[in-house]
Amino acid sequence: MITLTEVSKQYGHTHAVEDVTFTAQKGEIIGFLGPNGAGKTTTMKLILGLIRPTSGKVRVNKLNPLIDRMAILPEIGYLPENNPLYGDMKVVEYLRCIAEIKGVTDPQKIQDIIENVDITEKATAKIDELSRGYRQRVGLAAALIGDPHILILDEPTSGLDPIEQEKIKNLIKKSAKNKIIIFSTHVLSEVEDIATRLVIISDGEVVYDGDKPKRTGGVEKLFKKLVAKS
Amino acid sequence: MKALLKKELAFYLNNPLGYIVIVLFAVFANFMFVKDIFVTGSASMRPFFDILPWLLMVFVPALTMRMIAEEKRTNTMEVMLSLPVSETQLVLSKFFAGWLLTAIGLALTLGLPISMYMLTGQVGGRIYLPEVFVGYIGELFVAASFISISLFFSSLTKNQIVAFLASIVTIFFLVIFSTDFASSVIPPFLESGLNYLSPVVQLSGFSKGIIDIRALFYFVSFTSLFLFLTVVDLERRP
Repeated sequence: MITLTEVSKQYGHTHAVEDVTFTAQKGEIIGFLGPNGAGKTTTMKLILGLIRPTSGKVRVNKLNPLIDRMAILPEIGYLPENNPLYGDMKVVEYLRCIAEIKGVTDPQKIQDIIENVDITEKATAKIDELSRGYRQRVGLAAALIGDPHILILDEPTSGLDPIEQEKIKNLIKKSAKNKIIIFSTHVLSEVEDIATRLVIISDGEVVYDGDKPKRTGGVEKLFKKLVAKS
Repeated sequence: MKALLKKELAFYLNNPLGYIVIVLFAVFANFMFVKDIFVTGSASMRPFFDILPWLLMVFVPALTMRMIAEEKRTNTMEVMLSLPVSETQLVLSKFFAGWLLTAIGLALTLGLPISMYMLTGQVGGRIYLPEVFVGYIGELFVAASFISISLFFSSLTKNQIVAFLASIVTIFFLVIFSTDFASSVIPPFLESGLNYLSPVVQLSGFSKGIIDIRALFYFVSFTSLFLFLTVVDLERRP
């Protein structure tokens, strides 16, 4: 379980997030929506313990990610914004390296993930030579290694063409069983397709946290209404 | 940590940078020694061990400048910090990779003592190989201290050129504290302290084939201090 209680993060005089409170439970796929600079990435980094909150409490499985990172991080798969990868490594080398770090020693498990994310034909290619879509799938494969209970995906479909977006969406849906998935996006239809819950953040504040509207186009209407209002 | 070490080494094995730096080091080291050997006519490796810290001053920062700075610039450090690996493991893997690569560079100069051993054998008065061996151990300790400094500066910036220059300047001052020039410009009350800080001064025993426990203590403490500061910097969360 992930709990954020009145979490604020300030950079100088700028409030990146302010009094953010929400809880994520097992089995939920949370669509994290918000305009650019709304505080989505900051919130994700706070959950991972990559940055320190100015005030408030972040807990992952009741542990503080800043103090107990070695206990928490095996439970989390993370796909950062812009998906930084080691371009000089081959795909399979990179995934083996991540697997070793995560303590996954069975080569079959790496092979299964490679097949799941459909990068078999690029397994021996250098990461620098891959298209953006393939790179994104490699990043997702790395996040999925070790079968973590929590997946934090920062704009997993950003910059991809509609076919690639569809593939990534299906991968997220496929990996969702018994996990907490938090993914941020600008694409409202994505939330409608895969999220079970919706959190809208605007100017660093959570302006909506609840079920996603059931009607087609409902997410877009809600988003426009709330973001325009704030 | 094995996986991290492999990752670090893989970069240098997959890229020309590692090969270029190591080969250049070996070429310069061999040349600097050979160019004077027939002038001095002395069958000793000590002049070689005296030159090496000056070469390591450039070689080590060139090799290690990117290790953390580049990972910060490209955000791969964020990926690493989101994995179950401690900052200490991250820093140590980079340190040992740098040390191993430096050891390879030093190994490429082993032809010098070997050929000298064979040449001097023909005229009598062979060089004493255990002394040479201890000299190389000393150079490895000097390299370790330089790597720790370079890693520290690499952790402070996202720009590897800044890291390179900051490391060279710092190491330059440490090396120069051992010279006669420094003694002539440094106030007497500072001289012995700064002299002690110089890795070159600590190396002098090793160059003569003597393993000095005080020098060992100095190298281990010096290297540990900068590695610790690097870990502290990585552990810092904005």
